[in-house]
Amino acid sequence: MANIIEVKDLKKVYHDGGATATVALNGVTFNVRKGEFLAIMGPSGSGKSTLLHLLGLLDEPTSGVYHFDGKDVSSYSGNELAKIRNEKLGFVFQAFNLLPRTTVLENVKLPLYYSSVPEHEWEKRARKAVEDVGLGQRMHHKQAELSGGEKQRVAIARALVNDPEIIFADEPTGNLDSKAGKNVMSIIQHLNEEHGKTIVLITHEATTADHAERIMKLMDGEIESDVKVKDRLTSEDEFIK
Amino acid sequence: MTWRHTFKTSLTGLTTNRSRSSLTILGIVIGITAIMLVVSLGAGAQNLILGEVQGLGTNTIAIIPGQVSTNPSSNASALFSDSLKPKDVTALENKANVPGLESLMPVVIGADVASYGPNTYQVTIFGGTNLIADIFNLVPSEGLFFDQSDVDSYLSVVVIGGDVAKYLFDNQDPLNQNIKIKGRNFRIVAVLPKSGGGSLFNFDSMVIMPYTTAMTYVTGQKYYNRIVTQAVSDAAVPVTASYIKLTLEESHNITDPTKDDFTIETQQTLANTLGTITSALTWFLVAVASIALFVGGVGIMNIMLVSVTERTREIGLRKALGAKDRDILTQFLLEAVLLTVIGGVIGIVLGAGLAFLTAFALSHFLALNWQFVFPWSGVILGLSVSTVIGLVFGGYPASQASKKSPIEALRFE
Repeated sequence: MANIIEVKDLKKVYHDGGATATVALNGVTFNVRKGEFLAIMGPSGSGKSTLLHLLGLLDEPTSGVYHFDGKDVSSYSGNELAKIRNEKLGFVFQAFNLLPRTTVLENVKLPLYYSSVPEHEWEKRARKAVEDVGLGQRMHHKQAELSGGEKQRVAIARALVNDPEIIFADEPTGNLDSKAGKNVMSIIQHLNEEHGKTIVLITHEATTADHAERIMKLMDGEIESDVKVKDRLTSEDEFIK
Repeated sequence: MTWRHTFKTSLTGLTTNRSRSSLTILGIVIGITAIMLVVSLGAGAQNLILGEVQGLGTNTIAIIPGQVSTNPSSNASALFSDSLKPKDVTALENKANVPGLESLMPVVIGADVASYGPNTYQVTIFGGTNLIADIFNLVPSEGLFFDQSDVDSYLSVVVIGGDVAKYLFDNQDPLNQNIKIKGRNFRIVAVLPKSGGGSLFNFDSMVIMPYTTAMTYVTGQKYYNRIVTQAVSDAAVPVTASYIKLTLEESHNITDPTKDDFTIETQQTLANTLGTITSALTWFLVAVASIALFVGGVGIMNIMLVSVTERTREIGLRKALGAKDRDILTQFLLEAVLLTVIGGVIGIVLGAGLAFLTAFALSHFLALNWQFVFPWSGVILGLSVSTVIGLVFGGYPASQASKKSPIEALRFE
């Protein structure tokens, strides 16, 4: 299957105004196939969040090449990047990032406001996405009336509503108890296995990473290991590094 | 993003922080209220003054010595000019010179002390004819106005104003009593009722007497301070005014009209002058009131900047979900404009309401003929100014918001 992400020697250096520079990513090279479920692990400061932000087109690398869907992203303008984020990428954050005092349905509709999807389809699409994550009964509840697990499911519905090709999840279970975390992970796994969505997830919990078919470990801005842990077709562990 | 949804989003942004939004717009509300109030009261005052001027009879033409032009402050110097002489009156009264002239009244004005027994009072001497009663609708509370034959025979008779009667006579009846001015006795033939302070022309402290008497026994002058005339009709005013001008130029041997030593004032020119003064005053006050608006605008900018910082996460999220810089810019700009326009509308309603109450109070408690004027120009001004303030003072915070990088914004705690 074709690669959706091709990254070559990607670097990100932060300058704190003065002479000190922090190297967050020190040249990473890897590919992600369409439909793959990749978990990126590593201790805090290993550069995993930075990598996710670069892959999610939320930030620009200091150097290196990033091809998304076959095209070099450095050639895109700000508006084109916004359009790709809107149509092809979905985001799930650790802190949920739902709009306060806004209903479940309205939160899920948010990406549609910025899309080219005709307005008469918004309601239908948003309702379907909410139902897909099992919150059909919570459609008009506000953020404050939901449990943590429910909030994260709303965030997943929001990531799904524009039918993206890839979903980036940043510690999606980090703020959840184990039961809610399992529930969220089973939804994400379902999206990968039944709907063929590419998933790139960062976590430091082994139980969360266990849902992935490939686990990449980062350390000090470099890839420490990159292991295919299971194959949906062969169910055999295999080292690809 | 469609306009409808930008609008909805901005409105949601404002209502989630209702108390702050209302405090923010307070500055705009006060500014627009002040402007509405000033414009409305200015228009009311203008109507009041013009109404009084027009009440004098629109066919009146006044001749003032000296060049008054349109600058009212030079009126004082006109009082000392002696260019209007009895021969001018003779010339003007000649129907061959000024065919449209119906009546004419030379006027002398002076100040002196009137006394009755031990009582003295500083009065304004007005020397004229009984035409003054017609022009100003003066109806004596007792007695009768002197007539033309009294004027012709230099009779020492006076009509006194309400204050003069009150201060010289206390509770006695002044009619047919003699008051002393410059050591000479003048018989009171009529007393005017007190008019109060609300009128543009106040006769309360005046002593009115024939101009012939005033010139001979009181002021001693050989010239007139004014000549007041009436044209046969309103329509005849302009042509009569030009005949008067030609007659006086001939009488004064003036060939260059720019060197005229007199000024002709019709109701129209007087109304224009007064209108110019009141609108200048109004716009001056509007300028003062707009300082409040400016301060309100700075307040909006301040709060919008705070709001942008507070909502950094929301901005980041929206950008991550596909919002373009322009979407964020419009959202925050629209929030600012909504704030100022809502403030503007409240200010317009409040200002009009206060102006209405003021008009009501002035007309009821001070017995002024004050009409409430709905300030349409204030509405247009208020709405456009508040929109512009929203755009100007909301522009900087909105552009700050739109420039935030999505990742900086999402990382923000």
